[in-house]
Amino acid sequence: MEYKDYYGTLGVQREASADEIRKAFRRLARKYHPDVSKEPDAEARMKEVNEAYAVLSDAEKRAAYDQLGQGYRPGEEFRPPPDWDAGFEFSHRDFQGGDFSDFFAELFGRMGAQAHGRDHYAKVLLDVEDAFTGPTRQVALRVPKADAHGRVALETRTLNVRIPVGVREGQLIRLAGQGAAAGGKPGDLLLEVHFRPHGRFRVDGRDLHVDLPVAPWEAALGAVVPVALPAGELKVRIPAGAQGGRVLRVRGKGIPADPPGDLLLAIRVVLPSAEDEKARALYEQMARDLAFDPRAGS
Amino acid sequence: MSDDVLITLEELTVVCSVSREWVRERLEEGLLTAATEGRFTLRAVRRVRRMRELERDFDAAPELAALVADLLEELEALRARLGREA
Repeated sequence: MEYKDYYGTLGVQREASADEIRKAFRRLARKYHPDVSKEPDAEARMKEVNEAYAVLSDAEKRAAYDQLGQGYRPGEEFRPPPDWDAGFEFSHRDFQGGDFSDFFAELFGRMGAQAHGRDHYAKVLLDVEDAFTGPTRQVALRVPKADAHGRVALETRTLNVRIPVGVREGQLIRLAGQGAAAGGKPGDLLLEVHFRPHGRFRVDGRDLHVDLPVAPWEAALGAVVPVALPAGELKVRIPAGAQGGRVLRVRGKGIPADPPGDLLLAIRVVLPSAEDEKARALYEQMARDLAFDPRAGS
Repeated sequence: MSDDVLITLEELTVVCSVSREWVRERLEEGLLTAATEGRFTLRAVRRVRRMRELERDFDAAPELAALVADLLEELEALRARLGREA
């Protein structure tokens, strides 16, 4: 486990006042706010900033972190001494399991005990293809579990989950009785579905967006071309005279919900390389024989 | 995000880590709307998380957090339109 330098994350001195820490956090929260940030790693940075602030903004956690962290450098392998937290009484119970790093969980894990007998909630990452096939997926969840000393460690729990066909981004799958046990009846587990970014497919609600590379003659003359989709291959007619950037809508071939979404194919004209001798000769002939100005009217 | 999948108030509070009271106050103030009585769209999940984070991170008043959420939703709608027309 790596030692995390929370002061470094927020860019403040170890002696920083509560006010300085709050200001630094707000500045960074604005900089890395996922909705407005142009930084490529905004989401990951925001998570680190949130974690650092969760510790440093809380006097008890900060004191414990300060005492424990003496002599460690960021990234260094870190081993907390056994029972290091004896003598600290944490009064807040605001830890959201799984959101923070292993380092945080190890240090402040004992606060992770969630209200029992409640519905639990976890995000689950699926592939776009899963919405078409409705497979049974193994989902690994990290669940905070308390040991005999009341100390909480993250434990991995594996569940087999049947994914409904037509599942949508953001949709909840409810697993009855898989939440926290409350002595009596356990709560439910709510899984919130998100799709992993895919090289070719993008989902928007029920619609599936796909880039469709075509040869210049396919675009110019029209053609029927095969498109590989999660549900199998689909033959699509390219209308003659199609230009790059044009979006073809194929009704009902998106996510198979009720009603199903549409498939949106963005045409991208791909040119054969002129390094090929034959292609070069054809380009040269076109350049000679065609009175074509792509910038006419622009 | 689809508008036709509805979740209950209780599900909303679990996935967004907010209390019923928190949601009820914002419904009464008109900062949040339910799709039908006690039911919410997935869009509302996004809005509630946003408002909760803005309130927490910046000590923003609920009205201000809702205003920022309005603007961000508008921005998203415009960006999506740009993407479709491009």
